[in-house]
Amino acid sequence: MITLSEYFMTILITCMIVNLGLALYGVFFKPNLIKKIIALTILGDTANTFALIIGYRMWVAGVPSRPPVFTEWRSNNPLLLFVFTKTAVDPLPQALVLTAIVIGLAVTLFLVFLTLQAWKIYRSVDMRDIRRLKG
Amino acid sequence: MRYWVGLCVLILTILAISFVVAANINVLVPSTNVRTLAEIYLKYTYYPWDKYFTAMSPEACTSIVWDFRGLDTVFETMVFYLAIIGAIALARGVPLKLPKEIKGDLGLSLIVKTVTKIVPVLIIAVAGSIALHGHLTPGGGFQGGATAAVAPVLILVVFSQFYLLRRGVNKNSMLLLRSIGLTGIGITAFAAVLIGLATGHYAFVLQNQPKPLAPDISLPAFVGGQLISGSLWFFNFFEFLAVAAGFTIVFLLITLPEKLAEAREEKRVAEGGEK
Repeated sequence: MITLSEYFMTILITCMIVNLGLALYGVFFKPNLIKKIIALTILGDTANTFALIIGYRMWVAGVPSRPPVFTEWRSNNPLLLFVFTKTAVDPLPQALVLTAIVIGLAVTLFLVFLTLQAWKIYRSVDMRDIRRLKG
Repeated sequence: MRYWVGLCVLILTILAISFVVAANINVLVPSTNVRTLAEIYLKYTYYPWDKYFTAMSPEACTSIVWDFRGLDTVFETMVFYLAIIGAIALARGVPLKLPKEIKGDLGLSLIVKTVTKIVPVLIIAVAGSIALHGHLTPGGGFQGGATAAVAPVLILVVFSQFYLLRRGVNKNSMLLLRSIGLTGIGITAFAAVLIGLATGHYAFVLQNQPKPLAPDISLPAFVGGQLISGSLWFFNFFEFLAVAAGFTIVFLLITLPEKLAEAREEKRVAEGGEK
């Protein structure tokens, strides 16, 4: 017997795999460079979401898992810290995704500049045209 | 019509596959426990009872980013700036200058301009808050910098590029700000070593709190009763400057007015350059 939360989680992961396939299709088979860049950003976001799912923690008895921020630090209470350790999600994927998003934005801007340069030189962003104009 | 049928078939397929998968295997659901490594990170992110292992920051992500895995983040910053430098190098020769005369009104309508006079101030304030409270609440230098870079984009779209250039937000001033940020990150990374050299103690690069092998050197976790988590506050602040300035340069270059680019291209061809 499956519960509703298990079903939703599976839908999420199936959608992510479909998303991954669509993004790879876009990167490999779309001739337009701008569409390739859009597909690449979707690919990056999908990968980031997979990383977040790895670090997620299931709710226990209807109590939501907490973000990895120890908000009661002023109390200096080891018991609260223990409860925090037992209910917070994994912070490591979040820390990796945090930098990956900003670096992804910078790399996307770099690719946009490459495309802009291709447009300036070839007056086209279509891979088929650029291949014909080469050399 | 064919589009909608295809979309419905795709959604139904996903729902059906999910049902079959969920009914048969149970591994796709996250566990109620996290890995031991994550529990260690969560325990020692703010642990004033043992100063040798903690980062003294209640925010576990920031303490991982700038303390537990600080060297990783330094290299990630390097990758980030290589991409920015690559973009700047590709846009070399782009004239970011004010034209001699501007004909007509630039930018969007008066209503949009009036709103945009208020909003960027708020964006910068929120970005500063995200960056400077990065060791207490979710946020940090990367997020704050990326948020702050939205304000110049908004001004670029609404007021035109010349509005920013006339107020001194140009490539060179942003490069200067970016360099200040990167130098600050470098100095903060070597701060413990410099203090150690000056006082004759053993210390590590990227050290924040005292370590078992370097028990005498540490950066202060509290300043005037305020928690600043040693080096984390400085890292967040300098990363904020560097990321905001780096993105602003790229956005300035990418919104090059079309007519200027074409005029420059024609001039280059007229001077005998290759087409």
